Amino acid sequence: MRWAILAALPIGLLLLALYPMVATGYGIQFMLQLFMWVALAQSWNLISGLTGYVSFGHVAFFGTGAYGAAILVSKHAWHWVPASLMGGVAAVVLALIIGYPCLRLKGPYFAIAMLGLNEVMRVLVSYFEGLTGGGSGLSLPTLHASRQVYYGMGLAALAITGVAHILITSRVGLRFMTIREDEIAAEAMGINTARYKLFAFLLSAFVPGVVGGLYARDQGYIEPISVFPLLTTVTMIVMALFGGKGTIWGPVLGAVTLFIFQELVWARFLYLHQVLFGAIIVVVVLLMPKGILGILQERYRLPRWV
Amino acid sequence: MNVAITPTMIGQVIISGLLAGALYSMVALGLALIYGVMRVINIAHGTLLMLGAYTTFWWFRLLGINPYLSLLVALPLMFLLGMLLQRTLVTRVVDAPELSSLLLTFGISIALVNVAQLAFTSDVRSVEFLTGAFLVGPFALSKSRLVSFAFAVVITVLAFWFLQKTKLGKAIRATSQSSEVAMVCGINVQRIHLYAFGIASALAAAGGSLVAVIVAIQPEMGTVYTFKSFLVIVLGGAGNYPGALLGGMLLGLVEQLSSLFLTTQVSEAVAYVLLVLVLLLRPTGLLGGRAR
Repeated sequence: MRWAILAALPIGLLLLALYPMVATGYGIQFMLQLFMWVALAQSWNLISGLTGYVSFGHVAFFGTGAYGAAILVSKHAWHWVPASLMGGVAAVVLALIIGYPCLRLKGPYFAIAMLGLNEVMRVLVSYFEGLTGGGSGLSLPTLHASRQVYYGMGLAALAITGVAHILITSRVGLRFMTIREDEIAAEAMGINTARYKLFAFLLSAFVPGVVGGLYARDQGYIEPISVFPLLTTVTMIVMALFGGKGTIWGPVLGAVTLFIFQELVWARFLYLHQVLFGAIIVVVVLLMPKGILGILQERYRLPRWV
Repeated sequence: MNVAITPTMIGQVIISGLLAGALYSMVALGLALIYGVMRVINIAHGTLLMLGAYTTFWWFRLLGINPYLSLLVALPLMFLLGMLLQRTLVTRVVDAPELSSLLLTFGISIALVNVAQLAFTSDVRSVEFLTGAFLVGPFALSKSRLVSFAFAVVITVLAFWFLQKTKLGKAIRATSQSSEVAMVCGINVQRIHLYAFGIASALAAAGGSLVAVIVAIQPEMGTVYTFKSFLVIVLGGAGNYPGALLGGMLLGLVEQLSSLFLTTQVSEAVAYVLLVLVLLLRPTGLLGGRAR
């Protein structure tokens, strides 16, 4: 079983790498956004799925990365690849500033603080008009780079999933999960919880920042409400939850399933699809809080590398 | 921005702050009740406020009667809707980790907002009533804000009287102190949850009806009030009901005062900085509350 999957993985990756040669513009856009959601859901999984600290404002890192990269590209004429990486660095810096104090907060208070952080970031970005264009947004120079951005997003999704794999199958991941199960016990066992929480938080902030930068490049235009919506945070959470939080492939499975469903079914209805999304959130939370993989894991004792 | 700040301006700002603060206090008291009794953070709180505001709008538009009288309809209506939500959905996540209740109430919120968008369109509506201002000395007091303030004070006082003096109110406070002990004392905790959610929804609806004559009404209007209510209960200390009053007033004042020096947008950020500071420095709230 394990060998079959290990063989399927490189073949799948090869197919995805070759896909842009045969794909239409829409196909590339579709896959690019799919990768974006995989990366976002997986990065939320690193902090919240593993350590149990619910980041309810994770989109703040995405937005920070988007603005960081967009400013570098449009005002300082950087190439979008290093600019996106710098977007990731900007997100990590933000995570460091906010995580150091806020990770001491327990339970719902951390969630509220993160929610507040997102609002603050949106307001600040709207306020510093000289740098960010304020509420009227920021345009990037025209460039048709969908194919390249496709690879960028794909790499980001692959990298963060790889990190999740390394963490979850290692002692570091076990320490994260110990914090999730019982922080006081973790401390008593000699785990430096403050350090590990911050480490997980920084790891989980980098990729959303990079992805934000790539998103800004792909869209060519960003504004505060498009890169800091609470809805994006909730979407990544629901994707991770649907597939199974705290697992390696759960967020990937959740992102793929929900994104395909969203594109094929909901996009046809303007308001109704959000009503349906609300209903799906309620159903996922009430009926399958452990997610698909969580349920399978309980029933069939799946190994950790799932 | 370089306008000299006179004492009159500061007085005006303090008055506006208190007028706004009373509304925040009333709305946040609802959120504090739900959190106190069930440890659930209700993201749909502002959504219920929005529904209250629409009730007032349609009441005024279709019947043409004094919009303040719509409180008589909006409060019972949202009380029932709140109990329905609690009975069918929220009750299932009461003892679950906070992620469940956050997501669940967000799901309820987004569904209701979009139903409102389908039903009422996203056009910005307003209730034109009691426009203009009283001039008292050097201060201008907006008529609608003043009347809404008065109603908010009356409703908040009634809510506190209810919590302090009635048997049900005492049972609610007992449950928020310790639901196990309340249960041992023979309090039907499930029923308390139901009433608490109903009352909280009615308080949100009252907020909606009262701001309907002041601000623009549209389906997304509630989000801001949800955030502000969080802020208020963090300031006052979660599960501390008088703290919610203090927190609301404080938020109103801080917002208005900072708008004197900064733009309105940034004054919102000031409020959040305050939130994070209070969370870090005095995590039990200004009046003290439950430890975190």
